[in-house]
Amino acid sequence: MAVKKDLSIEYLGVMCENPFFLSSSPVAGNYDMVAKAFETGWGGVFFKTIGIFVADECSPRFDQNNKAGVPWIGFKNMEQISDKPTEQNFEFIYRLKKDYPDKVVVASVMGSNEDEWRELGKMAEQAGADMIECNFSCPQMTSHEMGSDVGTNLELVEKYSRAISSVTKLPVIAKMTPNITVMEPAAIAAIKGGAKGISAINTVKSITNLDYENLTAMPVVDGKSSISGYSGTAVKPIGLRFIANLASCPDLKGIPLSGIGGIETWNDCLDYMLVGARNVQVTTAVMQYGYEIVKDMINGMSHFMDERGIDDISELVGLALPNIVPAEDLNRDFKVIPKIDQKKCVGCGRCYVSCYDAAHQAIDWDSKKRKPSIDDEKCVGCHLCLNVCPVKDCILPGEIKWKEGRKQKEVKIKENYL
Amino acid sequence: MSKVIKKRYTEEADYGFDYRTAREEAMRCLLCIDPPCSKGCPAGTDPGSFIRSIRFNNIKGAAETIRKNNILGGSCARICPYDRLCEEACSRSGIDKPIQIGRLQRFAIEQEKALKMKTLKAPKKKKPFKVACVGAGPASLACAAKLAQEGYQVTIFEEQEKAGGVLTYGITPSRLPEHVVAHDIKMVKDLGVKFVFNTKVGRDVDLDEMGFDAIFIGAGLWAAKLPDIPGVDKEGVWTAIDFLRKARIEKEKFQPGDNVIVIGGGDVAVDCATTAKLLGSKNVHIVYRRTIEEAPADMKEFKYALKLGIGITTNMAPAEVLGGKKVEGMAFKGRDGVSELKMKADAIVFAIGQKPEDMTAIANVKVTEKGTIKAGRNGKTNLAKVFAAGDIVNGGQTAVEAVAAGKDAADSIIAYLSKKEGVK
Repeated sequence: MAVKKDLSIEYLGVMCENPFFLSSSPVAGNYDMVAKAFETGWGGVFFKTIGIFVADECSPRFDQNNKAGVPWIGFKNMEQISDKPTEQNFEFIYRLKKDYPDKVVVASVMGSNEDEWRELGKMAEQAGADMIECNFSCPQMTSHEMGSDVGTNLELVEKYSRAISSVTKLPVIAKMTPNITVMEPAAIAAIKGGAKGISAINTVKSITNLDYENLTAMPVVDGKSSISGYSGTAVKPIGLRFIANLASCPDLKGIPLSGIGGIETWNDCLDYMLVGARNVQVTTAVMQYGYEIVKDMINGMSHFMDERGIDDISELVGLALPNIVPAEDLNRDFKVIPKIDQKKCVGCGRCYVSCYDAAHQAIDWDSKKRKPSIDDEKCVGCHLCLNVCPVKDCILPGEIKWKEGRKQKEVKIKENYL
Repeated sequence: MSKVIKKRYTEEADYGFDYRTAREEAMRCLLCIDPPCSKGCPAGTDPGSFIRSIRFNNIKGAAETIRKNNILGGSCARICPYDRLCEEACSRSGIDKPIQIGRLQRFAIEQEKALKMKTLKAPKKKKPFKVACVGAGPASLACAAKLAQEGYQVTIFEEQEKAGGVLTYGITPSRLPEHVVAHDIKMVKDLGVKFVFNTKVGRDVDLDEMGFDAIFIGAGLWAAKLPDIPGVDKEGVWTAIDFLRKARIEKEKFQPGDNVIVIGGGDVAVDCATTAKLLGSKNVHIVYRRTIEEAPADMKEFKYALKLGIGITTNMAPAEVLGGKKVEGMAFKGRDGVSELKMKADAIVFAIGQKPEDMTAIANVKVTEKGTIKAGRNGKTNLAKVFAAGDIVNGGQTAVEAVAAGKDAADSIIAYLSKKEGVK
């Protein structure tokens, strides 16, 4: 791992060693865990949410969705905020900050009324945390005074943000729930209440699998189950969408965003940064693979920056936003006809089946030679075939055809597919 | 030092899939239109369909497809030369390597057994026709199963005490465990097919006198071949059939000796060599008169022999069995006319092919010069009511081809008896 790049980035007035953080969750629940994560290379931690309320947990509490050979496409978690005493958690934070002064420690907190929020804010500052994240978004709390029910109530978001901001000089961050149609109003409410940053997304309310033995959802707790938060690779597209929305919102201009949801690799991090996140938070991939994954995030990101000649990682923040536009603004004057590399084609016929059954019957199938060919007239350029083809570079974008009467000009297309 | 596999005689040579690994492998399948793998199976087992079923989490459906199409699906899954059949046809080869079709088939059939599935049914109301099948090997079993499903009353006559033919007496259990064959045969028995063991047709019974409406001969090739060289009558000289059968019956009690030479280049030769090695013989050697490329054995079987530490020498033909009353060694002459080879041996196994026994003792069928029965691909012989298929017609091919031929012959028998049914 020869390439070394400076990945440091400023976030809410604090210089962070890199943009890779653990999110407030089971992966950041005590001193030893976080110390190990810091030693492994994580830039900072959003410590597991602390409340006056101490959680009483169920067993078992996790489930996962998989496709054969690909485990944990999605992950379901029924664990609530910390099940440790409030004081003990702040003591962990105090010691972590003392032993790792260069790492960033964010105290994630959750109260059930204004007094609790104020009390937690004071304790976090006393413990020496760098900043405070308000958890307005945990979908599996046993109390409706807390969690995602609060996050969807704009009035409460603003009120609690104000309560905690009023007692501390530390920057306050509000963590949003995705269980909402649009996120901007809740984020704006938090900022109005005094929050300085926004994190998104917390987990998505879900039922992962049904259990046929007990006729309930998974996991099975004494024959019953509950709807609870879904995370992992499957939710990354949802997280990216919300971050892009927040980053493009004029009322939130300049508010630093922390991206969460389905991050496993350096390019997952990069994706979040390109749509406007200044840093990222990770849980599910750590639950599956451990803290070590950060090493390939650091190195992979360094290689990418080296490749692009970028020395300051903050240059990446929001770089793709200008090119993510409303559907009505897309150029609809042309179609890109795919081309099939007959030498690479293995003759499975999947493109033919998909084009016939799900698109525009634009692929002819030579059943003797087992070869597909594209009918340019019928093809609408949807690229379903390209997406279904199992062979690398066998089907790629080809000729550009202009719709009748449309003005031709130079267009940009994607050329390289992995 | 090379790492050599050390196993017991009855220990399985290869691992199987479980639910997870099977679905993982099925996920690699490209789900081809008009699947080439399905065309690659002589018996029409239809891997394209059963892999698709596993891929979409329908394991029972997969087992159903296999069992319906191939009554010996469990055994074929273990011994088929897939690399020349379904797997060779697999489109995935164009990307990396073919789907492990045989192993997926094995998994589905293991599930069939574990889930106690009953896929095949014979009608309660029987047709008024009785059919005799001669031999309880793959061709007969396939023929009998198909006839029984159509309501015909089938009796299988078998010279040995167990069914399966070559599956039971001619292949090492590490490659084809007994329970796998037994499970396949149970499927045939469950269809109501009657088995008469220890009975050789033509010697012990006369089918003509027993009132059968049709006769199917799937007798296989059970007369051993020995080369015409000095010394083949010495003690310690084996034919492959006798050697494998003795091992099958006596298991580890059978100790062929420290130094064993196997002569031949087919799967049977490799089976004899692995049998000797697994039984504990120290030095086991396969000697073949041609090149590996010309050898009929499956490459994966040769590789397995090599992994067990068995030596393979090519282009050397047997010249003389050495020793007194007992075998002490073997002399070979090179194909090049120059090379010579002498090897020490306590046992020599000739696996150079099998011949038909006298088929005219069963019925007055026309036979070829080699003694095999003259029959068309539909199994029809010169006699209207006598049909034949499998090794006894094709001179010795794979089990899956015998299954295919047995099924085809059953179709011919059904057509023949249906005509008679109109008259009756």
